[in-house]
Amino acid sequence: MKRIGVFVCHCGINIAETVDVKRVAEEALKMDGVAYAQDYIYMCSEPGQALVREKIKEEKLDAVIIAACSPNLHESTFRTAAEEAGLNPWQCEIANIREQCSWVHSDREKATSKAINIVGTIVQKTRLNESLEPIPVSITKKALVIGGGIAGIQAALDIADSGYKVILVEKESSIGGHMAQLSETFPTLDCSQCILTPKMVAAGKHPNIELMTYSEIEEVSGYVGNFKVRIRRKAAFVDWSKCNGCGLCMEKCPSKVSSVFDRELAKHGAIYVPFPQAVPNKPVIDKDSCIYFKSGKCRLCEKVCEIGAIDFEQEDRFVEEEVGAIITATGFETLPVADLAEYGAGDVPDVIDGLAFERLLSASGPTVGEVRRPSDGTIPKEIVFVQCAGSRDPERYKPYCSKICCMYTTKHALLYKHRVHDGQPYIFYIDIRTGGKGYEEFYHNAEEEEGIIYLRGKVAKIFRDGDKTVVWGTDTLTGRNIEIAADLVVLATAMIPKDSTAELVKKLRIQTGPNGFLSEAHPKLRPVESINSGFYIAGAAQGPKDIPETVAQASAAACKVISLFSRDHLEQDPAIAWVDEDLCGSCRICISVCPYDAREFDEEKGIVIVNEALCEGCGSCVAACACGATQQRNLSDSQIKSMVTASLGGG
Amino acid sequence: MAKIAYYPGCALNERSSHLDRSARDATVRLGFELDELDTWTCCGAVPPVSEERVMNLIAPSRILKDVRDSGRDILITICDFCYNTLKRTNYSIKSDEITRKRVNAFLADDTPERDYLEKDDSLWEDYAGEVKVIHLMEYLRDELGYDKITESLRRSLNGLKIAPYYGCVMLRPQNEIQLDDPENPSIIEDFVTALGAQSVAYPYRTECCGSYLSVSSPEASTRLCYRILTSARNNGADAIVVSCPLCFYNLDSRQKAISEAYSDFTPVPIFYFTQLLSVALGVEFGRQGFEKHYVDVTPVLDRIGINTGLGGVE
Repeated sequence: MKRIGVFVCHCGINIAETVDVKRVAEEALKMDGVAYAQDYIYMCSEPGQALVREKIKEEKLDAVIIAACSPNLHESTFRTAAEEAGLNPWQCEIANIREQCSWVHSDREKATSKAINIVGTIVQKTRLNESLEPIPVSITKKALVIGGGIAGIQAALDIADSGYKVILVEKESSIGGHMAQLSETFPTLDCSQCILTPKMVAAGKHPNIELMTYSEIEEVSGYVGNFKVRIRRKAAFVDWSKCNGCGLCMEKCPSKVSSVFDRELAKHGAIYVPFPQAVPNKPVIDKDSCIYFKSGKCRLCEKVCEIGAIDFEQEDRFVEEEVGAIITATGFETLPVADLAEYGAGDVPDVIDGLAFERLLSASGPTVGEVRRPSDGTIPKEIVFVQCAGSRDPERYKPYCSKICCMYTTKHALLYKHRVHDGQPYIFYIDIRTGGKGYEEFYHNAEEEEGIIYLRGKVAKIFRDGDKTVVWGTDTLTGRNIEIAADLVVLATAMIPKDSTAELVKKLRIQTGPNGFLSEAHPKLRPVESINSGFYIAGAAQGPKDIPETVAQASAAACKVISLFSRDHLEQDPAIAWVDEDLCGSCRICISVCPYDAREFDEEKGIVIVNEALCEGCGSCVAACACGATQQRNLSDSQIKSMVTASLGGG
Repeated sequence: MAKIAYYPGCALNERSSHLDRSARDATVRLGFELDELDTWTCCGAVPPVSEERVMNLIAPSRILKDVRDSGRDILITICDFCYNTLKRTNYSIKSDEITRKRVNAFLADDTPERDYLEKDDSLWEDYAGEVKVIHLMEYLRDELGYDKITESLRRSLNGLKIAPYYGCVMLRPQNEIQLDDPENPSIIEDFVTALGAQSVAYPYRTECCGSYLSVSSPEASTRLCYRILTSARNNGADAIVVSCPLCFYNLDSRQKAISEAYSDFTPVPIFYFTQLLSVALGVEFGRQGFEKHYVDVTPVLDRIGINTGLGGVE
């Protein structure tokens, strides 16, 4: 019989407070097959791991069970330790007595007997565990980065600089994202364009980066190291290989379309580039606003284009690519002002959002950096900034803090004061949150030196009265209600994930949290990985964050990809499904239940086989198999049966 | 003619009988009849906001159960307070099992036959929130359709500039009432437009009229009503339209006190929405109960060429 060692972790007081760990070890020692049992305060620490290694040798153990936290956290830690002591890693099992016991119970007596029971079931499993070898899988050393904002650009550059190929896919016709819209950036007030555009150019020119702008992900299949991606290259109706970017077509186009880039504060033609510093600097035709596409007449752009780059017949193309890792950096958008009913529901012209105000401040914006309000183009003398417009409001809008608004609103008020010296900015806030290097100092200076009036309270209502925009708010420090007849109101609207993200994550099969932001594998220790291997996340698609944090996360995600690519091959967990060929009745139910397309019918053998590279070991086919032909390694029917018996208190 | 179960409530039975009568007159012309419940009690009015867990729900539950037991599944109310009370009670019963059990235990115990008969073989069926409580204006919008009203107009209200006033309880709390967006509603504006009149936008349409402060702190209500009326007037309104009897009381009767407190105040006539409907659908004058208003409404009708023959106006 196998000699099994059981090691019970206190996890500080996380487990020991609720579970009598000494008794768990005592009881474990009485179980069939258990040759050694011991508790220790931090089993994952070096002395803890040393204890495991030492006892494997001393006690001649054939297998070990670590009764501790979830296997998600430290299974690989302890399997490595076991391997170092000469055991096959699959002879090391975790009994989860933290997440599934101590953290969810308060009765010490009952929790202790449950912990003993959990250990008992794992002992049953371990007795029948086979020694396994990992399955080697090849890697395609090319990355896909989805989203061409600052996060995607940074990640692509870092991977490309280390010598690997990258495909950078962007939905719009130019990379740059929201950062390209910003005027100056907090807390140093360096111009956003000046620090971003060189990176855009670098990404556009890098020999290892293939830019696919005006493109969208259509389909993703495969697995870590070996993804197949189908990409839709949307019809631009301009042959970019011919276009020299002269811009004559855009000058002559008679259509007028509100510019999304300029937050509808300016117009461009139906053929346009979103902004002059675009990369690539090639125009696209917006089919919905083009006179030719609507009425069959015009084609003025075609006439003026001397090199014949306009192509009305162009259609969407599809390309297939193979990549080894995918970074999702799809960024954010902001809660539409139209959704904020109490703030005028988008019907008050001089109520705009923070991004629109960035365009008013930007030297390349529609007002060339002069602060002029949308309704009549006059310079506002009183501006009210409203923070938390839709954030920190669980009853009506978003429950979370959008994190960047305290800082950018202070920056807005400050830049406004620098442009309009006799102007008066007011800021309504709930709290001022300035965690970040140099942030508090920036706010402090603005508040003390720049004459900005900070009012602590929420704004209840905003409406238009003549040419004024009236703001009703409250100042909770004086307890008074406040009415300001402002010339312009700027709402710091909540950051939300891009609406296309929801559709994309379905194709990628990665997870999002309750507010639609991408989920990380571990909130502290694995912040740039998705739980599904081979997928990485970066930037505001994961949650509200500012530029420094976005860039740091993008580089971290790139680093994870580079470390993946630095290996010769990947190792796939062998604890997956296998088929007893004599028993398979080829009913193919397993094919229909497999969520990973890992089951396929083998014409020659006449049975259904397992694609070991695709199988994730979920067990669906094992449960579905009518004749018991499909079994899971180290979770066989006999193992499960003896585990159930043990958990019900039987021997 | 279709008959729809109708709960008038105390105000419509007495002080606001003109709201009740104009509603009955108008709906008949639109092809359905408000069928008053055979027996009904007070809805409870304020209790939905009380901390009490059962007693506040008994009166409205009894009314709702009676409607269900009579085989009907829709109940129309007009008073905003009755609407709020009945709808929120129904919501609690429907969404909270404990409330449902408590209320039904009380109702069952309260049934006279079950107390007096030794052997009770009548089947008891718990009331589980089966009845849909609908505001008359909601019925007009969603069931009948505002365009049906427009088709049935007999008098044109074109030229009449009306400021809708929502008050508080018609729209709140949103998750329970779900009639319209409480911050940016449009149900009354659309109603006014359907009548051929022009609706006036002004910021105070969802601000408080003072509600029951009218009793405990009348000067507070006077101040609030002054702001509402003046804002409507300054934005060009000829009149204000409401559906709540308490809003009507505060906005109309209180204009006497407002005139005394604020020298710059100009009175604004107040209509119930059913009165405008009754006028527009051609019901004979005299039935709208305009004589019950503190501020005479006939001059503004006269100005757009509707001669009521009332109030000394030719």
